[in-house]
Amino acid sequence: MREQSIFLTGATGAVGSELLRNLAARKGLTINVLVRRTDREPCERVKTLLGDLDVTAKLNVLEGDVCAGPSLGLDNAAVGSLQRETTHIIHAAGSTSFGLALPDARAANVWGSRNVLDFARSCASLECGAFLSTVYVSGKRRGDFAESDYGDAGHGFVNSYEQSKAEMEEMVREAMNELPLILVRLSIVVGDSATGRVSRFNAIHHAIRLFYTGLAPMIPGEPAGPVDMVSSDFVAAGVLQLLENGPSPGVFHLAAGRESCSSLEELVDETMSALARFRPEWRKRSVEKPLIVDLDTYELFVRSVEETGNPVLQGATRSIRTFAYQLAHPKVFETERAAAALAWGGISPQPSLAFYPRVIKYCLESNWGMRPC
Amino acid sequence: MSSSSHAGIQSIAEYVPAKVASVGELHERGLLRGSPDTLRSFGFETVHLAGEESNIDMAIAAAEKVLEESEIDREEIGMILYAAALNSSSTLWDGNGGSPNGSVLQLESVPDLFKYPASIIQTELDLPNASVVGINQLGCASIFAALRMARALIVAEDDLKSVLCVSADKFPAGRHRDLAYNIVSDGACAALVCRGADRNRIVECTQVTKGALWDSEEIENEIIAAYFPTAKALVERTLAKAGLKMDDIALIVPHNVALRSWEILGRLIGCPADRIYTENIARVGHTIGSDNLLNLRCATESGRIEKGDYLLLFTFGYGSNWACMIVQH
Repeated sequence: MREQSIFLTGATGAVGSELLRNLAARKGLTINVLVRRTDREPCERVKTLLGDLDVTAKLNVLEGDVCAGPSLGLDNAAVGSLQRETTHIIHAAGSTSFGLALPDARAANVWGSRNVLDFARSCASLECGAFLSTVYVSGKRRGDFAESDYGDAGHGFVNSYEQSKAEMEEMVREAMNELPLILVRLSIVVGDSATGRVSRFNAIHHAIRLFYTGLAPMIPGEPAGPVDMVSSDFVAAGVLQLLENGPSPGVFHLAAGRESCSSLEELVDETMSALARFRPEWRKRSVEKPLIVDLDTYELFVRSVEETGNPVLQGATRSIRTFAYQLAHPKVFETERAAAALAWGGISPQPSLAFYPRVIKYCLESNWGMRPC
Repeated sequence: MSSSSHAGIQSIAEYVPAKVASVGELHERGLLRGSPDTLRSFGFETVHLAGEESNIDMAIAAAEKVLEESEIDREEIGMILYAAALNSSSTLWDGNGGSPNGSVLQLESVPDLFKYPASIIQTELDLPNASVVGINQLGCASIFAALRMARALIVAEDDLKSVLCVSADKFPAGRHRDLAYNIVSDGACAALVCRGADRNRIVECTQVTKGALWDSEEIENEIIAAYFPTAKALVERTLAKAGLKMDDIALIVPHNVALRSWEILGRLIGCPADRIYTENIARVGHTIGSDNLLNLRCATESGRIEKGDYLLLFTFGYGSNWACMIVQH
């Protein structure tokens, strides 16, 4: 990507931070990063993310917010400059929380994306805009889900995150008629394939913790049902490759797909095995492997826990149920288009179980992010 | 199998105190930690509360009944296995000069700790040839260990023909009676395990102990979470050891824990609700160690069981122990 100017949103998120680190180490590139002010300065947040990385790209940190209207919270001069120079947009901002009320999820994922689309329309030199989505816009569908498929097909959604992302996709698909856009649907991103490093702990990592503490007696699903997970480095490399060389417009799945996904039973077995391998003294706790049960049984269990009013067990089941219902609607994400577009760059997903144990090790060693690692 | 090489439960009797209290009454008396509505929705209605009777009174009553009904020659009883979760010594006996309210916290003298119920039962019931052994530390699963040992000893020792297994527990007075969302009743049971019994042949006995879960107060949540996966694994292991499948089981004879938990466990092990004998959960509650034998007797008397039926008994005891047994009626 030479002589290019990339506008990146969501750089402090799990995927955005991987993209930023990847881009920052490139030469001949300008990166304009839109970062919200929190209790910390945007520049400070970005600096923390980059750590001791040798930054070779020209990096500008802009304080703003995709939800702050068409100007994205920027002043006129900054917007004007971006409109003139931006050649590529990566929109990674949004909420990945599964527990938000739908209006809140929409505010983050639909209305924020609408503002970025408006911004894209005003960019005179735009070559490609990548909007990050999720393979779980498929909702409660079962079976194969192709890159050419859209939405839940009337089956409904497991949570507001999925629904808001599906609504975002509708908007982006419409805009594809006038703009060079791609939709990149991501699978579950669990960590770095080489080190297991997790930049942002999510529901999957919390589930691993519940397995570890013995507070997850059962999860819904089918033992042979596929579970799709990918590494953060694959996703970062894939997004950038598609941005640069992917046919636009287009929809791509960065997922493990049929070849590289694992079954739910394999995943549960590997989780228990890795916990015992990396923390031998844990065996003494005699934690039984969580059961994989049908949805009705799981719901009966959840209802019972709710009735007890036990806050610890309620917290555990609530943490799992926000995503675990997806396991009860097993599906395979087809990756034909993405595989073709990524092939020449030699980018392909690793089998989930090849790197997943490293993520578990990282979770243990960092005590789920509580300890420097 | 020849009649002399197997052991079975020839006769069963139970004792439950006459005094009954509803969930609402327990709540009003401050004897529940949890919500009465939740406990009702989990299937509990009433429990039995011992009054003046001690755990030993209850044990003797159940044992006397089983001896009378079986019409066995008392000299044939070669052993008494006394199984208790709470009351392993007569210090906890609230009659005849023992602790007034059945609490070990009231211990007044060390020698009291050596006043064992099994010995008292032996002499009270006039069983001169019975040696005695106490079994405890398995919580509600204690009686399963007694039955297992009775069978093993009968098979191992040629001259041992009949073993009297007795379990009795009286809950400490004034304490919350709900444990892990179950309500505890007072009660006792007795079973006569005999060589060559013509019913209830003990086919298989299994037990899992998870010592890491010994502190039932500190890690109650982990115990509750461990309950279902461990129970399912143990039931499946027991069936496999017996060479049976769940479809071969005519009736599950459960411990009287929450009906809801049996609904869940039934689904997990592939047993429909109508093949789990849950009739006593609402009426009797959880009698610590006496549930399964009480239920086996009731199920037998109700005509739910036919000769030759395979029955699966299952229980869980704080400690933490899961126990399972298959008998052929």
